Amino acid sequence: MPVELTLRGLRDSRRGIVGWCIGVVAYVAVIAAIFPSVQDMPDFDELIESYPDVLKSFFGISEGDDISSGAGFLDVELFSFMLPLFVLVLAIGAGARAIAGEEDAGRLELLLAYPLRRRDAVLAKGVAVALQVAVVCLAAGGTLLVFDPLVGLELSYGRLAAAAIGLLALGILHGWLALAVGAAFPSRALAIGVPTGLAAAGYLVNGLHDLASWLDPFRVASSFWLIGGSPLQNGIDAGGTLVVLAAGAVALVAGSLLIERRDLQTP
Amino acid sequence: MAEAPAIETFRLSKTYHGDVRALVDLDLRVERGEVFGYLGPNGAGKSTTIRLFLDLIHPTSGGAAIFGLDSRAHGVDARRRVGYVPGDLRLPDRLTAAEYLGSLARLRGSVDEAFRDELCERLGVTLDRPLRQLSKGNRQKIGLVQAFMHRPDLVILDEPTAGLDPLLQSEVRLLMRETAAEGGTVFLSSHSLDEVQHTADRVGIIRTGRLVDVDTVEGLRTRSLRHVRVTFGEPVEAEALAGIAGIRVVGTDDSVVRLSAPETAMDALVKAIASHPIVDLVSEPADLEEIFLELYREADDAR
Repeated sequence: MPVELTLRGLRDSRRGIVGWCIGVVAYVAVIAAIFPSVQDMPDFDELIESYPDVLKSFFGISEGDDISSGAGFLDVELFSFMLPLFVLVLAIGAGARAIAGEEDAGRLELLLAYPLRRRDAVLAKGVAVALQVAVVCLAAGGTLLVFDPLVGLELSYGRLAAAAIGLLALGILHGWLALAVGAAFPSRALAIGVPTGLAAAGYLVNGLHDLASWLDPFRVASSFWLIGGSPLQNGIDAGGTLVVLAAGAVALVAGSLLIERRDLQTP
Repeated sequence: MAEAPAIETFRLSKTYHGDVRALVDLDLRVERGEVFGYLGPNGAGKSTTIRLFLDLIHPTSGGAAIFGLDSRAHGVDARRRVGYVPGDLRLPDRLTAAEYLGSLARLRGSVDEAFRDELCERLGVTLDRPLRQLSKGNRQKIGLVQAFMHRPDLVILDEPTAGLDPLLQSEVRLLMRETAAEGGTVFLSSHSLDEVQHTADRVGIIRTGRLVDVDTVEGLRTRSLRHVRVTFGEPVEAEALAGIAGIRVVGTDDSVVRLSAPETAMDALVKAIASHPIVDLVSEPADLEEIFLELYREADDAR
């Protein structure tokens, strides 16, 4: 595998990654910092509890979430929506750029005229995408680790690590899917659209299947459901997370084989 | 066993979208150590041919071999021996030339660093600025350096001197000749006869996806037409000039005579008009399209 391609992928995106990290760290820090004041509001739990079920489902508030605990608060405020969103946008963007974006810009032509196999190029870029996602997940987890003693979040470090791994798995699946679609078809729109659609559908199915039982059969296609909600309170589903990672790997390998079969497009 | 030629194609064909025949049954042999000019107007199929050599696109039928290595089955091994400048070179925005060339060298594995530095110096590459800030010509230089820097056995250049000033164009020509002198092979695609004829040993002419002719530059030159416009100091009988072999009088306007003449007829022409007072004499190479028409007429005449 051309390690140089992985390194260049990281080098090219270093500014973006620094920006993402600053944004994610700032967001996580603000949320963590307001925890003490939320904790001191005795009525908050009751307020949340009085929300209609639809609203709670939509905002990722699961049955049994204890929002006055640090873990419950962060599960609702960070891990149910905002952090997955950050990670998905980053991963899908990076994955779509890696092949489809480069091809769109006409930069793949010279690269693939070099003595490397296309599939190896796809795999090398896949590693770069995964590492980018990992850095941001690490930044989010690290921020919570720092704030934990400061604001009394009383987190389980094992579950914090699990939560970060769940985020990473989510990002890797959708990032690799974006990369693979861009490798299989010369279209940046598809490379962004397919994983975005899958993520949106997966989020909805996971959030709403409690309310609409006919959605139940589709849960297995939801990466959110497979990994499991409320990771800081309940941990993640190890088997489901492995399934998500395996699905990402299958997509990546399929994309790396399909790119061998097609013609490179010129812009 | 005889050494395989640098490039050999067997009925190489490419059809896009089911009906656009970009390349039709190309049978071509480029020998080691020669500079081969691949000449044709825009859209004739030159870049398609090159992209087939490099396995960037796959043939609809037929095949190509680089040093005997099938471009599809042994593409990686074939491309290891090739340096390539795309016709439409796009570079990363943020990297500097030094960073980019370094990255390409690592991707390549083995690069003659001293030679790379020498190339950068010869072409005057700006090494320390982000690539997006460079002019088209300065970016093209980087494309040239990366194509030559590993001293490849075969250099494939698609319109390499576009955007370069004349001084650099001649430097690139020199580079091509040096490569051939050291036993390397150069495949030079161009729409400019002028560029090709100063560099190439042999020339293949392609039009609408078909190889029309392969000839030496000398052979082509004797056939290539010039447009000549002579302004005489007095009215003259143009018919007298029409007697010279190969010359056709295109038009006369009082003392101005316009004619087309192959290069071989120029000597006789100048001597014939020298007996009259001459105000001006302009001779321009005919464009490629006209050379094609001429080639087609020859082909028709031969029938």
